[in-house]
Amino acid sequence: MNGKVPVTVLTGFLGAGKTTLLNRILTEQHGRKYAVVVNEFGETGIDNDLVVDADEEVFEMNNGCICCTVRGDLIRILGGLMKRADSLDAILVETTGVADPAPVAQTFYVDEDVAEKTRLDAVITLVDAAHCEEQLEQSHEAPEQVAFADIVLLNKTDRVDAATLARIETRIRGMNPYCRIIPTDRCDVPLDQVMGQSAFDLERVLEIEPDFLDSDHDHSHDDAITSVTVQADRPLDSDRFQRWFSALLQEHGQDILRSKGILDLDGEPQRYVVQGVHMLMESDFMGPWPADEARRSRLVFIGRGLEQLDLERGFAACQAA
Amino acid sequence: MSGGVERVDGLDGGFPRSQLEHDGELIRTGAPVTGVVGLGEVIVTAHGDGRLRFFGADQPPVIAPVHDGVILSMARAGADRVVTGGEDGAFRETATDGTTTLIARLGRRWVDCVAAHRRTGHKACSVGARVSVWTRAAPEPVELEHPSTVAGLAFDPTGTRLAVAHYGGVTLWSQSGTEWRPDRLEWAGSHVSVAWSPDGAYVVSAMQENALHGWRLHDSLHMAMSGYPAKPRASAWVGSRPYLATSGADQIVAWPFDGEDGPMGRAPIAVNYAGPALVSAVNGLPGTAVVFAGLDDGAVLMSDLEEKPQALVLRGTTGEAVTGVAATPSLSHLLVGDSAGTVLWAPLKA
Repeated sequence: MNGKVPVTVLTGFLGAGKTTLLNRILTEQHGRKYAVVVNEFGETGIDNDLVVDADEEVFEMNNGCICCTVRGDLIRILGGLMKRADSLDAILVETTGVADPAPVAQTFYVDEDVAEKTRLDAVITLVDAAHCEEQLEQSHEAPEQVAFADIVLLNKTDRVDAATLARIETRIRGMNPYCRIIPTDRCDVPLDQVMGQSAFDLERVLEIEPDFLDSDHDHSHDDAITSVTVQADRPLDSDRFQRWFSALLQEHGQDILRSKGILDLDGEPQRYVVQGVHMLMESDFMGPWPADEARRSRLVFIGRGLEQLDLERGFAACQAA
Repeated sequence: MSGGVERVDGLDGGFPRSQLEHDGELIRTGAPVTGVVGLGEVIVTAHGDGRLRFFGADQPPVIAPVHDGVILSMARAGADRVVTGGEDGAFRETATDGTTTLIARLGRRWVDCVAAHRRTGHKACSVGARVSVWTRAAPEPVELEHPSTVAGLAFDPTGTRLAVAHYGGVTLWSQSGTEWRPDRLEWAGSHVSVAWSPDGAYVVSAMQENALHGWRLHDSLHMAMSGYPAKPRASAWVGSRPYLATSGADQIVAWPFDGEDGPMGRAPIAVNYAGPALVSAVNGLPGTAVVFAGLDDGAVLMSDLEEKPQALVLRGTTGEAVTGVAATPSLSHLLVGDSAGTVLWAPLKA
């Protein structure tokens, strides 16, 4: 796509199976050239001739925006990889279990050199079914990684019973309603379900179903990270929406991990699509509404303490008079 | 922002092919040019396939395979040699005849930055947050540690001070016998390259935030030079004033460093190129105020900062970003390298 090299980010706690998945990707995708970026303190045993050690250096920009953190080492490493004589089919970035995935994703929005040559394909979070309930309770990073994921690979499902598995899936769904949950035993997922996802393309936002809200997610657990979907049947006033949305991201971008929406702006024949990572946001008009679909605006947030943000009322007030 | 060049219609906004391109030799190496350094009448290019190529008048280029993988950094180390750092974890020294020696192998991590000083013979390279400095005094290097990964290295004109760019500022190491003592120049943000003024009075870094940051060393005065649309990573000291000519904008931005306060409170000279392309490579011509600007659309323009701010098109638009440009001091040849691995080696005099 546009000749940009796709970058897949693998997150998940130690022991969840990141190395197993990495090695599967590297050995089964014959004839393809991959670079793997690993943390020097991470798991070893990666079977590839192009393994690059990273330091997971999180840099703040000096513009005062606490949300605009980037992975400085990744900027440097991706820059170096783009100078190779041979072209890469993809780059895999493995993060440590304690890493916050946001700076990795934000790097692709903030750094122009990175954005020019590479694109973020998807964030895949590996979850160990046998230990994840405990990890979600005890760590700050585990819920963050689940909340950020485009794909949750629920691994080692053979070690738990069906009821536990169902409970875990419900819980993950409550934190992150639009990720794809793939249950596996030993990362035995068809690789075309994890590679080449284009999960950060605005096009993919269009896949949020109109009846998304109706599925009524079960928040059986008291997780700090939740999701909220807001919707409006009347068209939105463009100015009002932009003011509300940018103020929201400015003030609460730290708590809003990801946001995605398809919007019906008053007087606009095309669907307006937004996608954000913390306070960084991209948007575009993405073609006309399908004839068989109601023009209904919908916006999904994943984050912390969302119930306090009065999102329903704020969004409703954006509707045109 | 006066001056500029005439645009030619019907070329999709680009610059036309030049006579120089017609006269010169075009070498398609297939491996991105990662660096260009002048060694007197020889100009050397570093490439993404681990090769160095030495170009001189009246001879075919000398090709030296020195690294396994990308050459990440290169610096002049003497009249006829360069030091290089590679993806293969090696730090090497190579002469214009292609003879190469291994200075050190630093494990499986990348050798990101290198620097060298001609007179003292000091050589330095960085791996992660550590800089190793070799001096003539000892076979083993001195190891200098930093708070984060090193992104730029430069010796001062005397070779006794080493500036190291990293996150949060620049560390200045001063040599005293076999000891190196650090002074920290702090400025929030990530510093991605560093350079000394020719008189050693100023240190200037390029920042992740599309700005330059400068320090006047005798009183630690800060200078912020911002407003660039891209990172002003490439720069060159030009002319006797001197000017710091910088990349990162749709024009050459040249900051005057003469007088008591250098560029403080003064406007830079700007040579406008009247197009959307940004300057991606910049170099001067020793002994003159001539500056060569390579653009990210492949064009190369030449201007004299002491004369009317206008530009001469040396190479037209190609679509591939210029990654390095240099001319021989005798002005016999111009070399242009780009991100597609194409090298233009062209006679400047008929």
